[in-house]
Amino acid sequence: MTGLMHRSEVAVSVELQTPDMTLNIGPQHPSTHGVLRLVAKVDGERIEEVEPVIGYMHRGYEKLAEVRTYAQITALVNRIDWVAGFASEVPFIVAVERLTGIEAPPRAQWIRLILTEMARIASHLVFMSSYPLELGATTPLMWALRERERVLDLIESVTGGRFHPNFNRVGGVKPAAGGGSKTKKISMDLPAGFFAQTKTAMEKVLHVCDELDELVTGNEFIKARTVGIGVIPPDKAIEYGLSGPNLRASGVDFDLRKVEPILPYDEVDFDVVVTTSGDCYDRYVCRLEEIRQSARIVLQAIDKIPSGPLQAKVPRVLKVPEGQVYVRHENPKGEFGYYIVSEGGRMPYRLKIRSTSFSNLSILPWLLEGQLVPDLVAIMGSLDFVLGDVDR
Amino acid sequence: MASRLGAVRWVAEFGTPRIYVDRDRWVETLRRARDEEGLRFFSWLSAIDWAKESAVGEGVADPDSLEERFEVVCRLSSVESADAMHFLAVVPKDDPVIDSIVPLFAGAAWHEREAHEMFGIDFRGHPYLAKLYLPDGFEGHPLRKDFPLLSREVKPWPGTVDVEDKPSLENVEAGGER
Repeated sequence: MTGLMHRSEVAVSVELQTPDMTLNIGPQHPSTHGVLRLVAKVDGERIEEVEPVIGYMHRGYEKLAEVRTYAQITALVNRIDWVAGFASEVPFIVAVERLTGIEAPPRAQWIRLILTEMARIASHLVFMSSYPLELGATTPLMWALRERERVLDLIESVTGGRFHPNFNRVGGVKPAAGGGSKTKKISMDLPAGFFAQTKTAMEKVLHVCDELDELVTGNEFIKARTVGIGVIPPDKAIEYGLSGPNLRASGVDFDLRKVEPILPYDEVDFDVVVTTSGDCYDRYVCRLEEIRQSARIVLQAIDKIPSGPLQAKVPRVLKVPEGQVYVRHENPKGEFGYYIVSEGGRMPYRLKIRSTSFSNLSILPWLLEGQLVPDLVAIMGSLDFVLGDVDR
Repeated sequence: MASRLGAVRWVAEFGTPRIYVDRDRWVETLRRARDEEGLRFFSWLSAIDWAKESAVGEGVADPDSLEERFEVVCRLSSVESADAMHFLAVVPKDDPVIDSIVPLFAGAAWHEREAHEMFGIDFRGHPYLAKLYLPDGFEGHPLRKDFPLLSREVKPWPGTVDVEDKPSLENVEAGGER
C-alpha cells in the first residue's frame, strides 16, 4: 500500500522533459523529389523551424551559358526542368528571336504550342502519380504514368527525345525526328499519323482524369490529409513570387498564357483554372483541371495548325544585337523566364534564368512553420517542384 | 512614371522599362513601385558583372569606354496585367553593398543569397546571408567575369569548332541543304 502511494507521488513530481530535436530529412529521401535536404527543428510533432538546404544539383547553367552560342544553349535549358523539358526551351528561343528580330513561321509556333501543352500534361501527370503516392495511394501512380508514357511517346515521335527534346531553333523548330535527311524531304514535318495518335492520346488523358476524379479527388483519406493543410494566402503567394498552379490555387487569376502569350494561345479556347482556398487539396484539384484544359487546347490546335514552313531564314552564324530582354512563359509549374544581356556577340554576356521551382520552394520555411511532422510530406509534395529547376 | 519613382535614367526595351535608380534609394523605389504602381509580384533578383575583361566567354562590345561595376537587377510585375519593370542599381566594385529588400518581399531572401555568393555583393539587413548553392568554404564568386571555368582550363571545349567563323556568312535557309 505504501509502495503504491510512493510511486504515484514520484510520477507527479517529475516534470516532462521535451527538448527540441533536430530532424534531418534527405538529401536522399523519396519525398524530396531529388536531392533536397531539410533541417527541421521539431518540438514533439510540431515543426518549429525548417531550413531547406539546396544546391546538390547546382550545375551552373548561368555560367555555362556565357561560354556557349545561343544554339548550343538550347541543349542546356531543357535540362533545367526535365519533367517538362520542351516548355523550358520555348521562352529562351523566343527571347533570342526578340533580340534578333526573327519571327518563327506560324506552323512552327503551333507545333511549339502543341508540344508545350503536351509537356504540361506530362508534368502534371507526374504530379498526379507522385502526390497520391506520397499520401499512401499507389494505384494512381500506375494509371497516371501509363498515360504520361503515351504523351511522351508522341513528344519523342516529333522531337526524338522523351525528356530533352532540343527541338526549338531560333526562327522555328528543327525537322522532325527521322526527317531532315537529303533524300526524305517529305518527312521533315510532323511524323505520319501524328494527329490521329494525338487525338487518341488526348481522349485517354481525359479518361484518366475522370478515373483520377473517382479514385483520388473524392477520396476520404486524401481529403483528410490535404483539405485545410498548408494554406497559402494570396498575399503571401505573391510576395514569395509563387506562380503557376501554386498561385492560382490561392485564388489569384493569373496565367501568362492569357496575360502575355508568346505562342498563339489567343486563338484557342481554354479556361484559367482558379481555386480559392490555397490548401494542398486545391493545388491538386487545380492541376487535375489544368490537364483537362491542356488536352482541350491540344485537340483544338491539331485542327487549327496551318501548313507552311518550319523555319524562318536565319544567318548561319547568329550574331545577336546588343540589348537586354526578358521573356517569360507559363511553364507547367509557373512563370519561367530568361533574362538575356547581349553585347552583340554569338554568346550571351549574361543569362539569368528565372526558374519556377526556385521561387515556389522558397516559401517552404514560412509554410512549414508550426505544421505537424506528418503533414510535411503532404505540404512539400503539393508544391510540385523539380530539383533541377530549383538548383539550375 | 519613371521620374515619379526617382529614376536616374530609364530605358524602354522590348516593352519593359528598365529603371536605373541610385542605390541609396533602392528600397524606397521598390517599395513605391509595389505600393503605388501595383507591382506586387516579386519575380526575381540578380546581378550583372560589367567587366573590361572576361576570363571565359565573350566580353563587352566596347571595353575601353566601359565603367567597371556591378548592376543589381530586380524584376517586379503585376498580377492583374502584363505590367512589369526592371529596376537596376549600380553597385561599385570596391564597395559592393546594397540594402536588402527582404523586408519588402520575403521571397527575395533566396535570390539575394544567390547574388551574394555568385557575385560577392553584400545585402545590408539580410536576415541570413549564408551560401545557398555553393558548399561551405567555397572560395571566389563564380558568376564574376574574372572567375575562370575550371573545366575549360583543363580541356578546350570541343564545341569551339562550331563557334568559329564559317567561311561564308551569307544567309542560308536552315533545314535545307548544307
